[in-house]
Amino acid sequence: MRAVVKDGVGVFHPQGFLDGNSGNSLLSIEDIESTIKSNADMILVSLKKVVFFNRNGLDAFVKMFQKVRSANHIVVGFCDYDRKKYDTIMKFYKDEVMFSLFKTQEIAMLFASNFKSEGKNVLLYSEDKSQRAAIAIELHDNGHNPVVAQTKEEFDEKAKKEAAYDVIIEDTFLGQMGQKVAARVTGNAIIYTLSSFLDAEIGNTFNIAYHNNSLNVGFRLFIFDAYKVVSMNVHALNFFSKLSSSAAEYNATICFVGMTFEKTPITFKETLEDAGIMFFEQMDDILGDKELLKELGASSAAVTKNKRVLNKQIVTETPNFIDATVATIEMMTNSEAKKEAAKVDNITIDDKEGKIASSIGFYGDIDGMVILVFPIGIAKKACELLIGEETDDNELILDTLAELVNIVGGKVKTLLSDEDISVDITLPRTYPDIDSLLEIAQGKKGVQVDLNFNNDKFLFFLTR
Amino acid sequence: MITQEKIDSFIKRIPPAPDALKQTVSLLKEGELTKAAKAAEKDPALSSYLKDLVNKPIFGFKSKVENISQIFGILGVSRSQQSVYSYMISLLSPKEWKLFGLNQTSFYNLQAELNAKWQKILQHLDINDKEIESAISLLPASIIVSEALFCEKIDDVNLLRSVDEIDLNTILQRLCKMDLFDIAARIAEKWEMDEKIIQIVQAASGVKPSEDETIDKLGKWMHLLLFYTLSQPSYIEAGLNDFIDFQTEYVMDIYDDFAQLMEIE
Repeated sequence: MRAVVKDGVGVFHPQGFLDGNSGNSLLSIEDIESTIKSNADMILVSLKKVVFFNRNGLDAFVKMFQKVRSANHIVVGFCDYDRKKYDTIMKFYKDEVMFSLFKTQEIAMLFASNFKSEGKNVLLYSEDKSQRAAIAIELHDNGHNPVVAQTKEEFDEKAKKEAAYDVIIEDTFLGQMGQKVAARVTGNAIIYTLSSFLDAEIGNTFNIAYHNNSLNVGFRLFIFDAYKVVSMNVHALNFFSKLSSSAAEYNATICFVGMTFEKTPITFKETLEDAGIMFFEQMDDILGDKELLKELGASSAAVTKNKRVLNKQIVTETPNFIDATVATIEMMTNSEAKKEAAKVDNITIDDKEGKIASSIGFYGDIDGMVILVFPIGIAKKACELLIGEETDDNELILDTLAELVNIVGGKVKTLLSDEDISVDITLPRTYPDIDSLLEIAQGKKGVQVDLNFNNDKFLFFLTR
Repeated sequence: MITQEKIDSFIKRIPPAPDALKQTVSLLKEGELTKAAKAAEKDPALSSYLKDLVNKPIFGFKSKVENISQIFGILGVSRSQQSVYSYMISLLSPKEWKLFGLNQTSFYNLQAELNAKWQKILQHLDINDKEIESAISLLPASIIVSEALFCEKIDDVNLLRSVDEIDLNTILQRLCKMDLFDIAARIAEKWEMDEKIIQIVQAASGVKPSEDETIDKLGKWMHLLLFYTLSQPSYIEAGLNDFIDFQTEYVMDIYDDFAQLMEIE
């Protein structure tokens, strides 16, 4: 069974009797794969036409939820149920509800990020105080006007005036909400978005392999957008403390932005600060302060942990990486790109002046990093297709170069998967000058290839 | 578009009754069990089908039943008649199912399960009516007709399914202006079954409730039974579960009773 995807929301419509046998028959591995690839921002399972379900029946879908969440970090949950079904689900899963429960699809839509229905007047009630807060915050964040009833009596009273509200929410539970893991911003900071309750689950939902590889390719500033966090427990506290300690080994900084400590012990803040985490009230406090950004994001990487050596497999796969780069440059510039010389050595850049660079990491069956070094004028030419117009804005050129190397990464991924080598790619990182690149790449042995297109030379470097 | 004539021509092939079979049916209608068994024995395919059917686990007989008179004796008039109807339908069952992932065995199982559970329901409701007992045979029959109709337009059906998530019953309606339950009613007409049977299968669609309380109730039980059966993994995988739109609200008032009867925990 496949989800019907509309407006970024994918909905499954199982029907009939849902038990362990039927649940597993409804969802094949291919169905789950296609759900992950559907690019939906929210995945729902409608229980409207399910007349009977047991825990095993729901488990098939809950397992799918877990897979979709760990792959895409989006909102997942059940919808279209009555009070009896709601109570049953809560009873089945008790404290382990990682998914959300929306009484109707209409309610779910209020929480869908790309659904254009802003400005709804919403009356809401939940017995659980923190749920009330979480729902209200999410609604507010999505541009709606939540009215929170503090008691059931108040809710019933208010709900009588149906016309006053566009939507009335009850029997709804917010599990882990969308958590887009990373977004690149100028200044080479990675921003992670956190929301609702931070507990032991963070260890599963946070893509640690991705984070480590980001560190490995040279990202040094990680910002946690914590505006939507309601509270944090001791498991999450330990998680972030450890994360910060490991980041310190790379001289990287972790910041929290917008975190309030109304429902979280203030001692947690002290513990986190001791672990090296910095707290800011507003995102602009960091991103708006170029000096601070430079200081945090460009901190020396000289203490890079575990210098890794090039291995045979990477060298064997080098042609794939070069092909991906050549194909990308040819596509972008509409001219033929050629390989000139290749050697295995430490990276050497003869003339450091006026050059910029970009890198992308890959990890999985094999891991490593591709670095492209361009004279700034050539980078502009290579990126013309993406920029669209003449520009001297170096920041824009760097951003576009990041896009280019991202495309190279995507192509590498495809070429390798043809050989049954599975890799994921990190976000691209850029270097405004060669010195900042060398902080990361100095002394690393790799395959260095001189490439050119239209007699414009640039450098390709593959390392670990 | 598939015309009414085309649909009728498919239905007309049910039953393609050989003489022995016709005789068996008419004798059963008269309640002549012994004579009917003798007639049935003349048709080796029918005999073999009946043996195969009653020895399925769902009938729960401890030792193998081989003799047709014995089989009819065990089944009684109504269930014997129902079984012979099932046989007639199975004659139409395609050698190779193209749209639904069924084969001869799984189709027979579907028939057997529906028959046995319908029987249980009628006993529970204290209804003793030969025609009503046979009414359940119409559902597998209409699945066969639907498969045949879909196969006529298999490319169109696959195209419609690939571009949009339309359920098969809707496609059937768009192609033929009839849904599964309309086809079942049409077969009932062709088989000259009682008017109330036509009404029961119409009510079983869940979207055309009957004003007659008893008929509506039977429609509900049939609707729920169909979904209960089609929620089994093999029928889900065969594509039968999402063939029809399940109407939960329609059956809610009998659900508890149903769950108890079927021992659903």
